[in-house]
Amino acid sequence: MKFIGSLTIGQYVPIDSTIHSLDPRTKLLGLILFMTLLFVYPFLEIYFFYLIFLHIILYLSNISYRVIWNGLKPIMLLILLTAFFNLFFTQGEEVLWIITREGIKNSILFSLRIYLLIFSSLLLTFTTSPLRLTDSIEFFMKPLKKLKVPVEEISLMLVIALRFIPTIINEIDRLIKAQKSRGVNFEKGNIIQRIKKLIPVFIPLFISFFKRADELAEAMESRAYQGGAKRTKRVKLKFKRRDYVSFILVILLFIITHIIYIYV
Amino acid sequence: MKKNFIKISLLSAFSTVLMFLEFPFPFFPHFLKFDFSDIPAVIGAFALGPMAGVAIELLKNIFHGILASSTAFIGELANFTVGAVFVLISGTIYKFKKSKKGAYLSLSIATFVMASAATALNYFIFLPLYETILGFKIENIIQMSSKFNTFITDLKSLVLISIFPFNLIKGIIISVIVILIYKKLSPLLHK
Repeated sequence: MKFIGSLTIGQYVPIDSTIHSLDPRTKLLGLILFMTLLFVYPFLEIYFFYLIFLHIILYLSNISYRVIWNGLKPIMLLILLTAFFNLFFTQGEEVLWIITREGIKNSILFSLRIYLLIFSSLLLTFTTSPLRLTDSIEFFMKPLKKLKVPVEEISLMLVIALRFIPTIINEIDRLIKAQKSRGVNFEKGNIIQRIKKLIPVFIPLFISFFKRADELAEAMESRAYQGGAKRTKRVKLKFKRRDYVSFILVILLFIITHIIYIYV
Repeated sequence: MKKNFIKISLLSAFSTVLMFLEFPFPFFPHFLKFDFSDIPAVIGAFALGPMAGVAIELLKNIFHGILASSTAFIGELANFTVGAVFVLISGTIYKFKKSKKGAYLSLSIATFVMASAATALNYFIFLPLYETILGFKIENIIQMSSKFNTFITDLKSLVLISIFPFNLIKGIIISVIVILIYKKLSPLLHK
């Protein structure tokens, strides 16, 4: 088991660009619509058009392709396997040995679909800070309030948890180093022995979490925080002109997709 | 009440971190990944009630979704439903029988129900969903898995021979760790 040192959670690249400054809700809605279009129009010509479209967005976001490539690497195996199995195991008109016309088409289509799916969601997480994404999730969950879902509490918990993730990583790292300096080898032994070695890491962690939670609750109480009360935000989400422009562009994307669909 | 919210958020942050430390399990196809992220959820369900456990599972998967989804959110949906079944059952039984025996009983029942639920859900919902959405044919998964285990020949044997025992083992490991940790934590939790 590889432990923590190199673990990076979250992929936000904090630079300035047209895409970065869009409202997170615009980007989230755009992503959902894009994914829907991917499934409604599964055609090669349209996918190639999307490939160009996503690269234009990538260019606008000032993020280098290498950064995106690092995010894509983990699923490259899945893409290659999809391409491989579709290429060799699709029934149809044989072109070369057991490779069929349908096989070639499907293998490009399905691997391109996974590529586009991951590419588009990476574009969202690379250009939007997790905090702003959480804000926009709160916005879209608002209608659930009528069903008595505690939306405000959920979003408060999301924000607190998000703030504590780096702290927790540091703490785990510290505890593991403390154990290692006492001669514990986490990479040795059978499964039962390895699990036993994890217990002295877990227990102090939980104890410190519960203590921290008490402290934080006291701090909030002393600042007169109230759960149900209407909260204000330091940075408010606001649609600007570039958001309306992007909505028009997304509608245009839909229309172009449909035109390509009619003509091919 | 307020304190509980904060405890839930801290536990779900821990759970999220643990989810990123996933690793493949020996003898099982590599798309079944093992992680310890259910431990904070079960501890939360024991200490704060079954719904707290479900909340931790939900938050953890929202984070995994926004931070690093590589399966268009199907993996997160599957992880949430299976994890929620586990914490809901163990938390509910423990709520009515708060003792060492109650903990053992609740975790063994929850492990068995979770493994069965995971098997059924994968057979009827998640594997077909992967197939339609990612175009990743079930036959390919079966062929890939048969390299690891020659008894796997079709979907039924795939879920029965790999997904069921995998989740059973996962549940047992999680339960053992929870029991070992919980014994030491309980004075603090029932303060």
